[in-house]
Amino acid sequence: MSIDIFLNLTVRGLTTGAVYALVGMGIVLILQTTNVMNFAQGDTGMFITYLAFFMITTAKVPYSLVLILAIAAGAVVGLLVERFMMRSVRSRSHLSLIMLTLGLSLLFQGLAAFLFKTEPRLFPPLVSGDPIKLGPIILGRQDIVVLLAAIATFGILYLFLYRTKQGAAARSISQDEYAARVLGIPTPSIYMLVWAIGSALAGLAALLIVPRFSLEPSFMGLIQVKAFTAIVLGGMNSVFGAAVGGLIIGVVENLVAYQFPAIKDSFMLIVIVIVLLVMPQGLFGKRQQRRF
Amino acid sequence: MTSSSTRRLAVNGAIAALVLVLPLVFRTKPSIIGYLNIAMLYAIATQGLNLLMGFGGLVSLGHAAFMAIGGYTAAVLVMTCHVNMFLAIVAGVAGAGLFGLVIGFPSLRLSGFYLAIATMAMGSSVADVIKRLPRITGGDYGLINIPSLRLGGWELAGEASKYYFFVAILVVVFLVVRNFLNSRSGRAVRAVRDSEMTASAMGVNVAAYKLVTFVFAACIAGLSGALYAFTISYLHPMNFGLTFSIELLSMSIIGGLGTIIGPILGALFWVMLPVIIGSRMEFLSTVIFGLSIIGSVMFLPKGLSELVTRIQTRLRL
Repeated sequence: MSIDIFLNLTVRGLTTGAVYALVGMGIVLILQTTNVMNFAQGDTGMFITYLAFFMITTAKVPYSLVLILAIAAGAVVGLLVERFMMRSVRSRSHLSLIMLTLGLSLLFQGLAAFLFKTEPRLFPPLVSGDPIKLGPIILGRQDIVVLLAAIATFGILYLFLYRTKQGAAARSISQDEYAARVLGIPTPSIYMLVWAIGSALAGLAALLIVPRFSLEPSFMGLIQVKAFTAIVLGGMNSVFGAAVGGLIIGVVENLVAYQFPAIKDSFMLIVIVIVLLVMPQGLFGKRQQRRF
Repeated sequence: MTSSSTRRLAVNGAIAALVLVLPLVFRTKPSIIGYLNIAMLYAIATQGLNLLMGFGGLVSLGHAAFMAIGGYTAAVLVMTCHVNMFLAIVAGVAGAGLFGLVIGFPSLRLSGFYLAIATMAMGSSVADVIKRLPRITGGDYGLINIPSLRLGGWELAGEASKYYFFVAILVVVFLVVRNFLNSRSGRAVRAVRDSEMTASAMGVNVAAYKLVTFVFAACIAGLSGALYAFTISYLHPMNFGLTFSIELLSMSIIGGLGTIIGPILGALFWVMLPVIIGSRMEFLSTVIFGLSIIGSVMFLPKGLSELVTRIQTRLRL
């Protein structure tokens, strides 16, 4: 593998990884604070992307507005899910909470397939034009947007978690939910806020990655699996870990696919098994495992 | 008291009679019996998952992989090694159990989300490995022309004969699972689910019982997979991916986790609903499945079997 190919594969892997990171950050944020592993993260994004598709192609709404609306739609979905589904079963086992998100994911898939049919559709990229050359590296414009969006999202999440009162509240809930309530933190509204932010990330991520694939009800499935791999690698309880884990998975996956195409798909299993066996706390996780 | 137990006996007898009579009722429509056969195979696999999740408290998102291993082992043994079909099915069950042992040994150190993700990875990679072995498994084309079910010299050709055979297998599997759960080991398994710490303080070997449950569930799934192979006569790795694992999980949730009868109800619901709705509104059933999962978690924690119990109490059966 020549150095040029290596650089190109790495950079392209970074852009794929940025999407895994976006999905993964949303999952970790919700998991950390509300202790729910959201299996509907990908399909929430998928459904919103369908709505965005019809807004762009049929209603001719400008792209930037659609992007904002998609993020807002994700936030609304998150609010509704927390308020009307999660809140009433919070006291039950975590298994039931996982099942709720699985049901939600199935619901979105069914709705998308039922309302919009399953044939793949081509989603127009956010920015079109010739790829940009940086020395030996050739990078599509959409890829640059994805990278920038991931960096910006990470920055915003960092500011939210470490520079706002609500963020501090969310972090304290993730440490000890009971103690947080005793100290007067309004846990229900923080849960709603966290679900809104997490699901908004789902909408953003799906909209950014869809031009590389085609829009169909199952397109987020594999991406979500990769995002899970990323958060295992990153340590499950760290948003930073999910971001870095996503980027690493993206790059290594791209290199492996080039060098050893045969194990392209099994590669994530190898990663998960090694990580879980050798260092279950991941790269950036705290050693102590959380309640489950 | 006695009248209630006689009434219960009468109802159970009526259900048993209905089950036995169904193939005669639908003699002109063998496809319906075919669907019921599939539902029974799913119910067997789901019973394994139910044992694992409902009674063992262990999450698995890769249960379809055990079905795939059972199915492929049995089918390949019969087709390329010309093994007796009964032995091949036994080998399929053993293969799935062995794989469960190999997978379960390291992954049962994990719990909760970690176990869910580890089994998810395992499940999707088994399908991938099967795809990468085209000389044995047919790879991406799938394994076609698997011989039909045959016991001794007697081929179960029609749907009705398979139906009776599967009913028998289903009853046996369910009885075995029920007796296991009512045994000393079963109590230990449930104790581990409710509180690992209490169970281990009482002298229960937590790790061993988790492993036993996992292997047991894998064997049941392997049995279901082996029978599936000889019923459908076609296996494709894509049919045993993450999607199917989640479908099995959904069946056990809708039917009712932690109930013996739940898997049957869940599998029947899952298989029959699309048939009832019809192919033109195919994906409406997915919507209904999603809603039923949400509904059963929120309002009926024991799923359809809770509904059955409520009707039973209402009618004082």
